[in-house]
Amino acid sequence: MHSRRKFLHGAAAGMGLISAPTFLASCAKEVAPGALSAAAEIPANPFLAWFGIDEAMLSRVMSTLTSRGADFADLYFEHKRSNSITLEDGIISKASASIDQGVGLRVVIGDQTGYAFTEDLSEEAMHAAARTAASIAKGGPLDAPTSFNINSPQGLYTLAVPWADVGVDQKLPKVRQLEQYARQLDPAVDKVTISWQDTEDRVLVADSLGNVQTDLRPMTRLWCSVVATKGEETFANRANLAGRRGFDWYSDEALEGLARQAVDRTMVLFEAKRPPAGEMPVVLAAGASGILLHEAIGHGMEADFNRKGTSIYSEMIGKKVAPDIVTIVDSGILEHERGSLAFDDEGNATRRTALVENGVLASYLHDRISSKHYGVDPTGSGRRQSFRHVPMPRMRCTYMEDGPHTRDEIIASVEKGIIAETFTNGQVQIGAGDYTFYIKNGWLIEDGKITAPIKDVNIIGNGPETLERVSMVANDGVLDTGGWTCGKGGQSVPVSQGMPTVLVSRMTVGGEDA
Amino acid sequence: MLESLQDDLLERASLAVKLARAAGADGVFAWSTRNRFVEVNYRDGALEKVQESTSNSLSITLYAGGKYSSHSTTDARSDRLEAFIKETVALTRALEPDPHRVLPDPSLFEGRSEVDLDLMDAGLAGLTADEREGWCKEMNALVMAHEGVISATSGAYNDHAVRAGVSSNGFEGAYETTSVWRGASAVLKEEGDKRLRGGTWVGGHHLDQFQWGPEQITAEALRLAERKRGATKGPTVRTVMVVDPRSSSRLLSYLLRSANAKSIQQGRSFLAGKVGESIAGESLTVKDDPLVARGLSSRYFDGEGIAAKPMTLIEGGVLKNLYVDTYYGAKAGLTPTSGGSSNLLATPGDRDLAGLIADAGSGIYVTGWLGGNADNNTGDFSFGCRGHLIENGVIGAPVTEMNVTGNLLSLFGKLAAVGNDPWPWSSTKLGSLMFEDVQFSGA
Repeated sequence: MHSRRKFLHGAAAGMGLISAPTFLASCAKEVAPGALSAAAEIPANPFLAWFGIDEAMLSRVMSTLTSRGADFADLYFEHKRSNSITLEDGIISKASASIDQGVGLRVVIGDQTGYAFTEDLSEEAMHAAARTAASIAKGGPLDAPTSFNINSPQGLYTLAVPWADVGVDQKLPKVRQLEQYARQLDPAVDKVTISWQDTEDRVLVADSLGNVQTDLRPMTRLWCSVVATKGEETFANRANLAGRRGFDWYSDEALEGLARQAVDRTMVLFEAKRPPAGEMPVVLAAGASGILLHEAIGHGMEADFNRKGTSIYSEMIGKKVAPDIVTIVDSGILEHERGSLAFDDEGNATRRTALVENGVLASYLHDRISSKHYGVDPTGSGRRQSFRHVPMPRMRCTYMEDGPHTRDEIIASVEKGIIAETFTNGQVQIGAGDYTFYIKNGWLIEDGKITAPIKDVNIIGNGPETLERVSMVANDGVLDTGGWTCGKGGQSVPVSQGMPTVLVSRMTVGGEDA
Repeated sequence: MLESLQDDLLERASLAVKLARAAGADGVFAWSTRNRFVEVNYRDGALEKVQESTSNSLSITLYAGGKYSSHSTTDARSDRLEAFIKETVALTRALEPDPHRVLPDPSLFEGRSEVDLDLMDAGLAGLTADEREGWCKEMNALVMAHEGVISATSGAYNDHAVRAGVSSNGFEGAYETTSVWRGASAVLKEEGDKRLRGGTWVGGHHLDQFQWGPEQITAEALRLAERKRGATKGPTVRTVMVVDPRSSSRLLSYLLRSANAKSIQQGRSFLAGKVGESIAGESLTVKDDPLVARGLSSRYFDGEGIAAKPMTLIEGGVLKNLYVDTYYGAKAGLTPTSGGSSNLLATPGDRDLAGLIADAGSGIYVTGWLGGNADNNTGDFSFGCRGHLIENGVIGAPVTEMNVTGNLLSLFGKLAAVGNDPWPWSSTKLGSLMFEDVQFSGA
């Protein structure tokens, strides 16, 4: 039922990659000795030390934050360090580093929120921000907890070697190696751009119930972009690998596979055409096609839209919305996935949440406010972009479970239609239910056979109508290894998506008639 | 007080330059920014969210031994900053030399506009939380008074931003802007489970850039929601397309998305080799003008410190200029202009939306886009859209769940008219557009 994922690239346990900490690692160590490794061996909580706070200070700031009353209040401390490296025109000519640190302070009363943040972690600055956030409340003071139950979950994406201990000297050869793979794959490859990114996000959530959750959230992403020229024609395309993973993930096989994806997706554009315009059957290829779920149902199932009555799914829980073979899940607990979280950004444990179970609309995605509104357990879906933002219900890793069919059966069943394979972006109107996604690469199906590559087609449909039209689901489910970023209300969060091969009997294809 | 904020940030940027030079950098450009932001939201008759914050950040670009890197931090304590800069200079040295990575030519810093662009409303400092809340309350009540409203939201925010830059080769500059916006949205019940949403925001650098009072804002939000009622999927057809002034800027932004030295030098632009050639119908003339008084994207200098100057991008359909920054200009052999767009001003035609729709006779009037994208190498695009049928020269039944597909160069080649009705609250001043022979896909 779970772990039906297959990986394009094996994630072998990484060993022996520790190098002398360079660059920001040494900077970081100056700030908080020992916080970067072997956290469990240090008696005092290293996260509290990192942010320069202790339980007594937390209690004092929480008192200020709840001084005018609150149903709930929290402090979200964050220190995020990102490094990137770019290779372009054969030169590793750019590197970037950023440090973003601060604390967000929130007061919740019913469905009302007061919010403030400060990048200055002095107690004085936190009290000032706390008073600002508290201004939404009009009541008497709450008793703030004087001690906190500190929980530091481990294992969902704990790395053998933290990114802070991986030097730039180790990364540069990998960047160069990926470029070489891409250049070797086809003589038409003209330009290769490699973009490397690694991030460590250190988070501490303290709430008015006396809970503290701490987490070290790694993230990495590697892009391979290719420009190829044949005669007068030039095409560009790209591929990426992303996850809450470490340096060891970038094995020779992983890099070669990524280069191959990028080059294949580019070279096929020389042959690709636009399909005809209008309604037709669409086969969603296994993997990144999970973008359909993200747009067609995922956003509409975020409980903030539903408690406000603004989603098309607002009155549909318990209703049959799709054939029995359709089960759609949003999970935060898949190891090392980009969208996974040990706990959400409100400190709630994450879990597997079925949005659609055997065709029946099962559960919304909840944050604290909506779970209280509906009187249900939180689903661990309260997420935020950073300490500057209020949390709201968001997706994590969204996928459809396997069904009874095979990919071959599905393709053979289509007289005239298309396969959607790679994507750039999607969007949805929550209330109307209309959604779109943009196909970069795909295939034409004629008389049950794949006949030609297609490119650059927007697909548009209506969420509930599309769910009803899911007519076949294959047994080849896979989560996309490329990284996705979801935007909502001005906030971006990393997500994952996956899919087995699926047939939707009718969607509107933005093709072109001759 | 205001000047001292600029001085304070200039000092921080200067310190960063000094620290980087001391750590061994040959060239440094540092920017220091501060943003004070307040926001209030109302929903269904009650306060929903109040947010307030002040944010500071420092970013630096470093040049050392022909090598380059760029960095940012929000941790401004001096000991941390010094350590951060030392580490980033060391990182820079680990990279490979690139002869094109140099600071902008100091001559480009010269000629900065002396004219006050009027980007700051000093009166906004006195705007109170009660006033912002009062606007929200009023707009919210106006929407809720409408029949069939499921949810009404309204919001207001204002900010005060200060930006200061210092470079080791002579750039020094700072300016402040304020902005203030307010808006409302309505969600209405439609047949079945569908909801109709409409919303609008107005604002600018100054309070009087609202232009619209709460009644006009909420009436517009309700109109935008109501006009979608009963929409069905339109036909698969090639026909005339008229684009609403609130949606036309998206098409222009895609046409110009790769009109820059980076895209061209990197082999990712369908505009490569097109300067001096026609890329659109003769009715299209577009200027990039960063020096518009109170312009939403006005500025005195760009992100590289290059003094802001107006630049004609398209004249009578002919591509005249490109966005060229220092690095990609050097790589591509092009003279730097500016790395990024500011206010885009299209020369208006002689008719408004109703005039273009009357001219079209029949076709599809697009009021909004949903998703979609375009290929920068070919200009092939495909966008989701909604709108109305055009029948007998007037707006007809609403349609939705359609795509419009084609090629940006051939689409703009079939540009029949530009309207005289740009949306006031956009940095792109482009009216309605009418195109001939456009492929729609629907039922």
